[in-house]
Amino acid sequence: MVGAGGDGIVTMADVLSQAAARDGLNVLKTEAYGPQIRGGESSSVVRLSGDPIYESGDGADVLVVFSWADFSRFKGECTPARNAVVLSDEADPVARTPEDLGLSADAVWIKLPFGKLSTDSGAKGSKNLVGLGVLTALFGLPEGTLRRAIVSRFGRKKAAVGEMALKAFEAGLLLGQTLPPMPERRLAFTPGPAKLIMSGNEATAIGALHAGCRYFAGYPITPSTEILMFLDEWLPKMGGSLVQTEDELSAIGAVLGASFAGEKAMTATSGPGLSLMTEMLGLASMAELPCVVVNVQRGGPSTGLPTKSEQSDLFQAVFAGHGDMPRVVLACSDVEDSFHTTVDAFNIAEEYQIPVIVLSDQLVAGRRETFDPASLVHEVRERRLPSAEELTDYHRYKETPDGVSPMARPGVKGGIYQTNGLEHDEEGSPGSGFLLHEEMNAKRYRKLRPIRDAHTFHRRYGPEDAEIGILCWGSSKGAVREAVRHANERGQKVAAFVPQMIYPFPKKELEAFLKGVKQILVVELSYSAQFYKYLRTFLDLPAERTHVYKRSGGKNLTVAEVDAEIVALLAGERVQERVSA
Amino acid sequence: MSEAATLPEFKPSDYKTDLKPVWCAGCGDFGVLTGLYRALTELQVKPWETVVVSGIGCSSRLPGYVDTFGVNSLHGRALPLAAGVKVARPDLTVIAVGGDGDGLAIGGNHFLHAARRNLDVSYILMDNEIYGLTKGQAAPTTPAGDKTKSTHYGNPEPAVDPCELAISVGATWVGRAFSGDLKGTVELMVKALRHKGFAFLNVMSPCVTWRGDDQFKSLKAKQRQLPENHDASSRAAALVYTRESEIVTTGVLFDVSEPTLLDRLATVKVNALAGKPQSTVADIIKSFQPSF
Repeated sequence: MVGAGGDGIVTMADVLSQAAARDGLNVLKTEAYGPQIRGGESSSVVRLSGDPIYESGDGADVLVVFSWADFSRFKGECTPARNAVVLSDEADPVARTPEDLGLSADAVWIKLPFGKLSTDSGAKGSKNLVGLGVLTALFGLPEGTLRRAIVSRFGRKKAAVGEMALKAFEAGLLLGQTLPPMPERRLAFTPGPAKLIMSGNEATAIGALHAGCRYFAGYPITPSTEILMFLDEWLPKMGGSLVQTEDELSAIGAVLGASFAGEKAMTATSGPGLSLMTEMLGLASMAELPCVVVNVQRGGPSTGLPTKSEQSDLFQAVFAGHGDMPRVVLACSDVEDSFHTTVDAFNIAEEYQIPVIVLSDQLVAGRRETFDPASLVHEVRERRLPSAEELTDYHRYKETPDGVSPMARPGVKGGIYQTNGLEHDEEGSPGSGFLLHEEMNAKRYRKLRPIRDAHTFHRRYGPEDAEIGILCWGSSKGAVREAVRHANERGQKVAAFVPQMIYPFPKKELEAFLKGVKQILVVELSYSAQFYKYLRTFLDLPAERTHVYKRSGGKNLTVAEVDAEIVALLAGERVQERVSA
Repeated sequence: MSEAATLPEFKPSDYKTDLKPVWCAGCGDFGVLTGLYRALTELQVKPWETVVVSGIGCSSRLPGYVDTFGVNSLHGRALPLAAGVKVARPDLTVIAVGGDGDGLAIGGNHFLHAARRNLDVSYILMDNEIYGLTKGQAAPTTPAGDKTKSTHYGNPEPAVDPCELAISVGATWVGRAFSGDLKGTVELMVKALRHKGFAFLNVMSPCVTWRGDDQFKSLKAKQRQLPENHDASSRAAALVYTRESEIVTTGVLFDVSEPTLLDRLATVKVNALAGKPQSTVADIIKSFQPSF
């Protein structure tokens, strides 16, 4: 669906998604906007299915365009399938041809009076609802549920507004019924119990609340701001506090202060903000202060592409910081995963007193997906507090086998200590001797081992005896998983390995996956191939059978791209692109 | 036993750790440290319910010498950490300390916003008009024209008056002390700690190593007490005693009562709940399941 600002594209997609989720369909909805603050072109892709879906799909089966001028601004981001049904406004002065849309002979193009019908129905400016009516009639969408979705959306404050909106929908429905039916294109599904539908950012925020986070400090930055706004609404209702700070330095500083004081605390940011927080993450690592930093990646470097997705903050998350600075990096690969990854991040941060970075990205964070409400169950773990006995002779940084020392909460008599970013001894007193530094570095790094042993987060798709093994991470999972399914359906032995724990890395699990794999394909949205290079820091990837498919972000990874790589690899036709240093 | 007999009595030594300060002999910060021990004693705050937070610099070593909970954080970041502690745990007494470079140069942005928010923290700034730890470079408080290790031909920049800044950006309590005047410093610290809201105490704290022996003597000679009839509730009256050149006026320059950050956050919670019971995660999840 594409239109100008005011055409109601976002609402149209929302109502459709809500109705589909209500009837138990699987939904995946993405949105894209122009750079304007308000108004301007917008587009939304909604994919619906009774079967599981993992990404947006490559070409739209149905394309609704209210304005071709706006459509052309989303070049390459919103394309119809070759045999698509295209519905456009007959009043649009811009002429387009099936050829320039890449349509084949079996495509159907219908020009309809969306604008006129909307005005005639009495609900002026409701071509989006007229459009929904047409779609419902043509493709067998759940008519009753859509009606209720419209009333719920528009009639909440004033019943008359809801009735007016329904008129536009009914007008579209009637129009749709006069069009030649397309029985083979109708949506086949059986209604089921209502699913949850939310964005990755919302799932992350809910994960934080579930984990017990009651303190958030943050600075607005696209595409992470939704987390701040969501928690601003809910934290005070749960007895928690949120402070919008003057900058990211202050945000992470306040998070560490709250953590020192005994609260579970989090901040959320995007690439430039994470850069600013880096020094403070070093303090968290040194002073062993639990904290969670969610980094919703966007195109970089610098201001880059604030509203588009990319996977190019991997190096920053894993390596940034001066000194030897243990931290944990997790990645979420879909919406439901964003909930679980965030809870895991808190569990690890609190249990091991270490900073945890959660790498999300604009694609996962901004899209809305359905899932089963019952899946939001996750164990919550707490930090280790000193026992009464330990408090009789308390040493904050006491050497322990796993490197984790009990952490006293201010207010507890006997728990007094002074922490700092200087190297320090077991008591926390500053020291700059070599032996002390070596011992304390070892203590802090020792924590990574039990973390690594206890958590081997990764996903694996495809047959055990795969010949082609695809390695990817984060939001690339969607397209890769679907491509693997296609390949397997074609009888091709292709599997994929998706780590969710990026640092420390589930190396043993990856080595087991690679056993027997003849060709390795690394897939990522980073121009300089950060993931491939990162893997090579601890894994020998033989050059002659390792292939890298990488490109800049700015456009989501498509199944077709991964499909094409698999086909070329199997045919022995893939030319290895040189990855520069 | 009567209640009075069970009351813990804290002596200044109860607030003292075993660490020996790294400061140079004659450093003004000793006076601030001793003053703080005495102020804490006078207020009888429980050491384990107190958190002293600092940034980086000579004076930022102070939390290590105070036997309360303490954080020696990053250069310029004492106030963000202090804000995190206080907002998460309003029950704790939170004191931020540091130097002029730490608080007004690299941390200047946080100073502005902590004051604007009326953060419920006392901030004691040890102002020696120089960077001591890095061995004598100009600070935002170094007078124009002064020769330092980074201004060999005279400081080309004018100095800021920390008190003027604090008054202007929203601090609700602002005082100036001289660490050579221990009694006066203790009195002002006690008042700062008792204040509800952001209390800023600028302590002139000489650096014998990089500002020379005469900084102490000259401050002593310049020190004047605020006149008895000073109206501390007046911003205009308070500003009269800022940007002084030949004198250093000590006392409570400004003292007003306004809602603090914690007050306002409490109001946010009341508004959010609107008389209803607290929400649960289950409530939130349910709101994402279409139910029309």
